[in-house]
Amino acid sequence: MTLVPVTYRGGIYQHDIVMDLIEDLGGYVVQKHVLAQEVVLQCFVPRDDIELIREISRPLFGEVIDSPLVGTEIAIVSPSLEIHHLPHPSCDIAEYTRRLGAKSNMVGMARGVGKRIAAINDEERDVINEHDIAVLALGNFEHCIEYKMPNLRRGIEVPIVLCGGPDKEALQKIVDPPVEGYVGNVGRFMHRTKESEEIGKLDEIIAEITRVLGKKRDEIAKDPLSVAPARLMNLIREKVPAIHEVTSPTPLTVQMTGLRVKLPYDSFAAAIRQVEIEDGITIGDVADVVPSRMRDYIIVRVRPFSDTNVVI
Amino acid sequence: MLAVEYFEVECGEKTGAEFYKQIANDVLLDHNLLKVINKLHIFIDPKVPLFIATGTLKKITSLIRVRDFANVNPQEGKMTLVISEETYLAPMLKIFWQRFGKEHVEQPDRFTVILYDVKDTPEEIEEIVVADPSESLFKDLIYAFKCIAPEGFRLRKETFGNNRFVFVASENTLAEDIDTLVAAKFALMGETP
Repeated sequence: MTLVPVTYRGGIYQHDIVMDLIEDLGGYVVQKHVLAQEVVLQCFVPRDDIELIREISRPLFGEVIDSPLVGTEIAIVSPSLEIHHLPHPSCDIAEYTRRLGAKSNMVGMARGVGKRIAAINDEERDVINEHDIAVLALGNFEHCIEYKMPNLRRGIEVPIVLCGGPDKEALQKIVDPPVEGYVGNVGRFMHRTKESEEIGKLDEIIAEITRVLGKKRDEIAKDPLSVAPARLMNLIREKVPAIHEVTSPTPLTVQMTGLRVKLPYDSFAAAIRQVEIEDGITIGDVADVVPSRMRDYIIVRVRPFSDTNVVI
Repeated sequence: MLAVEYFEVECGEKTGAEFYKQIANDVLLDHNLLKVINKLHIFIDPKVPLFIATGTLKKITSLIRVRDFANVNPQEGKMTLVISEETYLAPMLKIFWQRFGKEHVEQPDRFTVILYDVKDTPEEIEEIVVADPSESLFKDLIYAFKCIAPEGFRLRKETFGNNRFVFVASENTLAEDIDTLVAAKFALMGETP
């Protein structure tokens, strides 16, 4: 059974029917937003059953849309959190990815500015590495990007999508070794992206992120995870009641190969390791539960089949 | 860019120059500075790196007086001011308090100020200077250029006066002959020192 990420959008009336259906089919609801009379569910559902969900939700005027970014956590990395980069373009990109189902975090570097002085520190590097993908939103000059890129990418192990002012070909030429994705003509600008041309650029960024994540998914499929991260999310929700007290918008953030649990590591790591998944197999058996560099959160990294020899 | 007579961004990288022209336009528009700038030449060399903005200003029209934003209606024993624009209300009240004393100034609501037992004629009140916009202009310009200049260029040199301004920024120590470069940029705009 292959689970595919989709977004369900419909009225609030009887939306629990759709939620029950998704769960009965073996899917998972990753995020649920209730906006006035509308409900948006970001979920994983079995590929073959999408039509069934469409059918059942038709009388409720619900629609099911493919959204490949559901269940991913994206780092939007900006050289600083100054007015030069915020709110445009960094926030525009972050907001756009969020609209399409991803959980995006802004990472503003302490010393990512300038040319010679640009640098990344260990905390920033570790925080970025906790995400599925890093989108680097850099400036307008080819020369500067060429000069500072080796410094900024030092130690980053997740795929990088580079956005910069020069066109795509120029970016590909100056970055060595190559990164996974490039989007040209999106450098620093100081106005809101509302023209159709600019929205088109944001779509291009999404397409590039989707392409890179697709490649990563294919890699994961070669050596599948021992357990689906979305399943762990449901289990933790059931068995660690403290998660319901967390006020963050997403107390449990699903990633492609793991989960971010927004509970303090010291007091809850042991409890999470002991959560039983099935037949006496616990989370601790199939995943690494490690402290996150983001606040005192917990990161659960699911180990692949080749490591654990179980798939549940 | 209707109001500006000359506006160029000079840079070795063509796309970079276009983006910076857009940035400069957006920032100056946001800060309401386009109407005071007459000519503007920006030079950027990412290789050094160096950012230079030179330009000339228009004559700042006039001082802001009470009559520009309020109507003075004399009545028996008092004078009622009807405010049409709140921007300069606070500095005006401050001046009134100093000049007439707080007991003679009353503000029943946002758009009305009443002066009691004031000896000045309504014409004299109308002529009181409330603010001088050119005082903060230099600060506003510097702030705007700090937004326009690439981030991280923390070594700066700014001069202002005689209706001209120069803003130079870099992340390295500025070269000693920077003034000759600045003079050359003024020459490009057709301005002689």
